[in-house]
Amino acid sequence: MMKDPVLECSDLSVGYGSEDILTKVCLSVPRGAFLPLIGPNGSGKTSLLRAFLGLIPLRSGRLRRRFGEAPPGYVPQQKQIDPLYPISVRSIVSMGLYPELGFWRLHNRNQKMRIDKALDRFGLLGHQSKTFRELSEGMRQKVLLARAFVTGSDLLILDEPTAGLDAVSERYVLKHLIDLNKNKGKTILLAHHRLEDLSHLAQMVCLVDQKKALYLPATEAWKQIQGSFWEAEA
Amino acid sequence: MIESIIELADLFPNALISGMTMTIVCAIIGVFVVLKRIVFISIALSETAACGIASAMLLHLHPLAGAVALTAIVVSLLSINYENSRIPRDAVLGVIFLMASSLSILLVSKSGFGLHEIKAMLYGDLILAGQQDRNILLLASAPSVSFFLLFIRPITYTFFDREASQVMGLACRFWEMSFFFILGLVVSAASKTGGVLLVFCYLVVVPTTALLLTKNLTIVIILSPLLGIATTIGGLTLSYREDLPCNQTIIVISCTVFGMALIIAELVKRLKIKGVPEAW
Repeated sequence: MMKDPVLECSDLSVGYGSEDILTKVCLSVPRGAFLPLIGPNGSGKTSLLRAFLGLIPLRSGRLRRRFGEAPPGYVPQQKQIDPLYPISVRSIVSMGLYPELGFWRLHNRNQKMRIDKALDRFGLLGHQSKTFRELSEGMRQKVLLARAFVTGSDLLILDEPTAGLDAVSERYVLKHLIDLNKNKGKTILLAHHRLEDLSHLAQMVCLVDQKKALYLPATEAWKQIQGSFWEAEA
Repeated sequence: MIESIIELADLFPNALISGMTMTIVCAIIGVFVVLKRIVFISIALSETAACGIASAMLLHLHPLAGAVALTAIVVSLLSINYENSRIPRDAVLGVIFLMASSLSILLVSKSGFGLHEIKAMLYGDLILAGQQDRNILLLASAPSVSFFLLFIRPITYTFFDREASQVMGLACRFWEMSFFFILGLVVSAASKTGGVLLVFCYLVVVPTTALLLTKNLTIVIILSPLLGIATTIGGLTLSYREDLPCNQTIIVISCTVFGMALIIAELVKRLKIKGVPEAW
């Protein structure tokens, strides 16, 4: 029996301007799943994630979100963040506690410990006073992951978390995500454009291409993309 | 030097208080103008405020009313999302800047005022600030800076990472609009007293100098108005002692301090011992 879904959508359509990016998407994401959204560049993976998060309006269809009390931990694409801001790594990670702190509250001891734990988990304790600009792309990605982790949310949504990373860093990030899923029970939804990186890590994937999103076993998805232009591109 | 400052405070108390008020509020808000890379917005808003003042003069209204009304219209125009637009926001700003700066001259040329009066009204002169100017500035600045500092956390988060902030439940559009309206109000009130160039200097040069000297946002927000106060007092005193135009003296001093900060920052960067490269 399928576990209580954290996200459910039916006949979902999203788009920008006059163009439909995705149409009639039906998907159910079970709690505790590790679900990669796989597809070529421009296929609509980010749009689908943004629709799930309520960042873009739906054209049509139904979307039911059962995120619980805490909002999901979200890791946007790095290009969304301007490194000019002189904000320390620690402050960026503590931003994840905003839903608990609101406008004015300061961190209590427990929250400080959670920040330390998140920094430690991603190997950032020694870099906590550095600014975003002073970090490599891989380190920046770790900071964003730590910020998502500190929220304590059971759902993590990540948009191309390995974009711009070298192979070693990419493996490190994916290993962390698998660990969070297997050992911490987090539901993980991530956009990724290469199936071969994830085919052995995820049982099910969501194949996003040609305005459709299909929920398939990873092996089936692999067969579907064999020989396609997208596979050649990947 | 101290004697000159005391003498200045005696002779031009309104100029001193107005200058301090302007620099405190503009230097704090300006930190985010620079960080959000919307420097051009501040000069366009300053010119819009000047155009509003000119329109108000022609219609026999209070100059501030004209400045606030026109700035509010422009701020609303700028708050439109230009992400998927065919034209960039910068191009719209360019049109607004040119239109406002030219229209204000055309309007006042028909107002019947003398050239000196027009220049002072449109482009302000801090040393001529009167009690009314000072009061208007205080009235506009105190709530603006208080609101800004009280809600600095959501404003900072919205500007730093809009999408993640929205996911965390922040009303990002509200905070962006609030920021632009505060900016518009402050620029309108300050432009009438200090003039367009001085406002632009306080909004851009002073915060940029602070950003060069430290990499901690809280310290930048404290340092920026302090630098502004120092350059304002320095500029006012020098202009009084040497009989120089007040606004331009403050601007030149601010830019000189910026140049010095640039050299210091570069020297510190070069002297820093480079650490071991990151593992990844």
